[in-house]
Amino acid sequence: MSMRGFAVSGPLAIAATSDRSTRAGRAARRRRHASNAAILLLYAVMLVWTLTPIYNIVMIALEHEGDVYGNSIVPVQPSFDSFWVVVSQGYWYLENFWHQFGNTVFIAGMVTFLVLLIASMTSFTVGRMRLRNGWLLTNAALLTYVIPASFLAIPFYLIMNRYGLANNPWSVIAALVTFATPYAIFIFQEYGRSIPLELDESARIDGASPLVIYLRIYLPLMSPALVAVGTYALLLAWNEYLYQFLLLSDKRSMTVPVALAQFLNSDQAPWNYMMATAIIYALPPLATYYAFRHRMSSGLTMGGVKG
Amino acid sequence: MALMRRSLLQGSLGFAAGSPLARPYIANAQAKTMSAWFAQGFVEDEDIALRKAVAGYEKASGNKVELSIIPFAPQRQKIVSAITSGVVPDVTQNNPAEILPLYAWQDKWIETEDIVETQKARFSETALKSAQAYNDVTKKRAYYGVPLRGACVPCHTWKSLVEKADMKMADRPRTWEGYFDFYKKVQDNLRKKGERKVYGLGFQVTANGVDPAALFNAFMHGYGGQGIVTPEGNLNLDARIREAAIKAAEYLGGAYRDGYVPPSAINWNDADDNNAFHAKLMVMDVDGTISTEVAVKAKHPEWYFDEIVTDGLLYPTTNDGKPITCITAMLNAVIPKGAKNVPVAKEFLKFLIQPEVLQDTVETGLGRNLPPMPELAKTPFWQNPKDPHLKGYVQQGLLGPTQPDYYVFNPAMAEVYAQHVYSKAMIAVAKKGKATDAVDAAFNEIKEIFAKYPIKQS
Amino acid sequence: MTATTVLDVGASSPGKRRSLWRYWRGNLKGSEFTWALAFSVPYIAVFLGFVAYPVFYGLWMGSDPALYSDVFSDVIYQDTVINTLVFVVLGVNLKLFLALLLSGVFMRPGWLTKVMLMLFVLPWAVPQLPAFISLHWMLNGEWGLLNNALWILGGIEGPSWLNERWTALGAAIASHLWKWTPFWTVILLAGRMSIPQDIYDAAKVDGATGLNRFLFVTFPLLANLYLVLTLLATIFLLGDFNTVFFVTGGGPNNETHLLATLGIRNAFDLARPDLGVAVVMTALPVLIPLVIILMRKLRTTEVQL
Repeated sequence: MSMRGFAVSGPLAIAATSDRSTRAGRAARRRRHASNAAILLLYAVMLVWTLTPIYNIVMIALEHEGDVYGNSIVPVQPSFDSFWVVVSQGYWYLENFWHQFGNTVFIAGMVTFLVLLIASMTSFTVGRMRLRNGWLLTNAALLTYVIPASFLAIPFYLIMNRYGLANNPWSVIAALVTFATPYAIFIFQEYGRSIPLELDESARIDGASPLVIYLRIYLPLMSPALVAVGTYALLLAWNEYLYQFLLLSDKRSMTVPVALAQFLNSDQAPWNYMMATAIIYALPPLATYYAFRHRMSSGLTMGGVKG
Repeated sequence: MALMRRSLLQGSLGFAAGSPLARPYIANAQAKTMSAWFAQGFVEDEDIALRKAVAGYEKASGNKVELSIIPFAPQRQKIVSAITSGVVPDVTQNNPAEILPLYAWQDKWIETEDIVETQKARFSETALKSAQAYNDVTKKRAYYGVPLRGACVPCHTWKSLVEKADMKMADRPRTWEGYFDFYKKVQDNLRKKGERKVYGLGFQVTANGVDPAALFNAFMHGYGGQGIVTPEGNLNLDARIREAAIKAAEYLGGAYRDGYVPPSAINWNDADDNNAFHAKLMVMDVDGTISTEVAVKAKHPEWYFDEIVTDGLLYPTTNDGKPITCITAMLNAVIPKGAKNVPVAKEFLKFLIQPEVLQDTVETGLGRNLPPMPELAKTPFWQNPKDPHLKGYVQQGLLGPTQPDYYVFNPAMAEVYAQHVYSKAMIAVAKKGKATDAVDAAFNEIKEIFAKYPIKQS
Repeated sequence: MTATTVLDVGASSPGKRRSLWRYWRGNLKGSEFTWALAFSVPYIAVFLGFVAYPVFYGLWMGSDPALYSDVFSDVIYQDTVINTLVFVVLGVNLKLFLALLLSGVFMRPGWLTKVMLMLFVLPWAVPQLPAFISLHWMLNGEWGLLNNALWILGGIEGPSWLNERWTALGAAIASHLWKWTPFWTVILLAGRMSIPQDIYDAAKVDGATGLNRFLFVTFPLLANLYLVLTLLATIFLLGDFNTVFFVTGGGPNNETHLLATLGIRNAFDLARPDLGVAVVMTALPVLIPLVIILMRKLRTTEVQL
């Protein structure tokens, strides 16, 4: 996208300029204007669609408690107090906010790392080393999706206790790695097809071990897919709620989504604090996405769209 | 399959032992560690009170309590997961309350009579009844709970909205229908004054959460239809009960149909009604505990002291002026079978139900919860003449006529609530159905559910 | 299939074992085979520890046939099946079709498009719980932002969106589209961007522009990707619990449940985890073929995506 957009200026690209004065040119220009207008209209609709719920969140965060139920569509007496309350841990549900934030960062970080590591190793074995029947591995991975994750919650709760991981962030990490890895393997498999096998072959002839090929050739060439899947895993871990709630039970081990659920607990909750927490909480994944989005686009192609 | 599971299990235990992730074992041989799950309070002070009591026990015994305070609504999922999987804490609270009789039926709890015995003379009769449940394996009713606190369902009113309608709180009739009809007039007057969105009655005519069953029960009692389940656990659907149910369905659903209840009430969840009430979108609601008031005490003392009225002392009577027996739901502590530290758990609970500990817990928690012992209602805290809510609430839920909720007598009723059978009847009337048909359908469903829970007592 | 092979290894004679060993090694030389095993160990461990065990446990929980007569006779379940069908068919297809169209729009050059794309992916990053609660409130008939806006801007008294089955289900689908269309758009955008420019150039020489270019050049290239995404989206959506749970709560009157939310309701509200699992098991006749098709897609390397 950036590659194509760089040469153009103006809000919408007005491309070719050679056919300016001919009759056909005028018609083309009219068509272009019409299509530009249609695009602008579409953008306007998309803006309203995308931003209204977000506006609602921001509005509630800026309002005072209870104003949620007013009949106004702009914040009454907007203030940033609720953000300050969150940041300074000034409310009892949020008294461990930064600690819980740290838990989330730790969990999301480990999930991302482990998903990338395990999935890339697996797809390397299956796709590059040509382990016979390696496809069994990738098929097995897909079996994970036969029963939706929300239903494995009870068995998971049981086995985590058996493994001695109750109330331990590693239990959540294990669960999320389990559910994110199959998709990651899937993407890696697809993307890996766009990397010529001859590269591996020539390295092998030069005497490189599989480990060296994995580290020096496979991983660098896969980097767009790694970035894409990493972002996916990060967002998954960041957004997940059911497992975190079920597996983590006290205020110190909790993550932010679980802490947010506390607000639902009460008859009377300061929803402005909840939404301010949500906004602060949404910033890191947004920043991640924007930081990596160029490479992400190329990484998610699933390799396959070939001519 | 069984074999495989066992060997997997052994393998996994080996993994746990050898793994650096396993939790360190407590070194001190004498001190024991037990785990306890409690529901998070609706106000911070409740948690503070609980922590204080736990700290008191730890100091007194030298043992350690691993206390997990879990958000109220999701605690249900945790307990069900724990009981199903067999990996249980040493003590948990019966949250939701129906869990106690439901799992007692399946023989999942440890008997608690020896614990209750230590304070038996002090507990209210309702508290003692609520701690017992029928076990379908032993075919006996026994103590499985340890009563900690109670809750009942008062009426909450915005005095300011009544006055805005040029009406007086003192003019409210005391009889059941008259009392609620009054608020319809309030709404009519408010409409004349151009209030577009304020509704008279905040009835939870919804099939979500625990509120609608409590509301319907209150109305059954209001119409003299007490005792749909007998203390022995048998279903009673006689003419008196049926008539009360029809009137309740007609009044509650009818109020919605006639536009006296906020339209969104038909899909409210447990928090939505409180939110709407706090936003002054309705003049009154019938809702469990005085959390409505307690929750706003710190931020809006003027609401707590002046604007919101709780009708405990002046709870409406039946249409012919008889006092209403209030349903007081008891929160009990339970010890699941499979708990690792039963003796410590029992000792801990004996500590918790000492009157002074209970008093401190309940009063530190701002009185959102009722004590389970009548003597604890006579303290200066509850009888404080300056507090507009506490005295009436404790009168309604503890000192006045009370009874346990019906699921205590037979867990079938827990399923009736969970299936929202009453809600369906109310909603049918709200959608212009006939109350008699709605109640007949409901009673059929109730009969089917009770057929699954036969109680044969000697 | 895996299981029987493993069993064979255990039960066979040493001689046979050696040949099986060679069979598994394929063309790999000694040290390479060791490497290959070492590389696959992490996932095998994850699979055995965290997939096989819980899945079997889940299947075992839902294995009593008597559960299914309870499930099928439940009126709520019958509604739920219809809701789930509507939700999946509309949800998946609208989401992916929109994503396909929008990914084309986002191919346009210019800074405005870039800014739009950045805004458009916002919902993906917002945590689910507050996002859906915000939507639940926004759609409230009396004080929700939507009806407030309709009243203030147009003098229209909006309906109570969450009070009727079909508007509530529609609201849930719309909420799901809002949250998840960006994710699939980003993937399809990536797919479009990997189509080499020279193909378009060649098509242009042949006079294919606009709709023709899309129909005869872009879409055939994306078709396989689109199909795979449809399968994945269907599988993911069947397990979606958060949207309906927080937006409609399954109401009014339990009329908008999906299999996932009904399962959770049975498991926890009714304290019947076996009944909850049984509800979900009834989706297996749909889920298993989908997973098998996905497996095939993944296995046959030759198939041109």
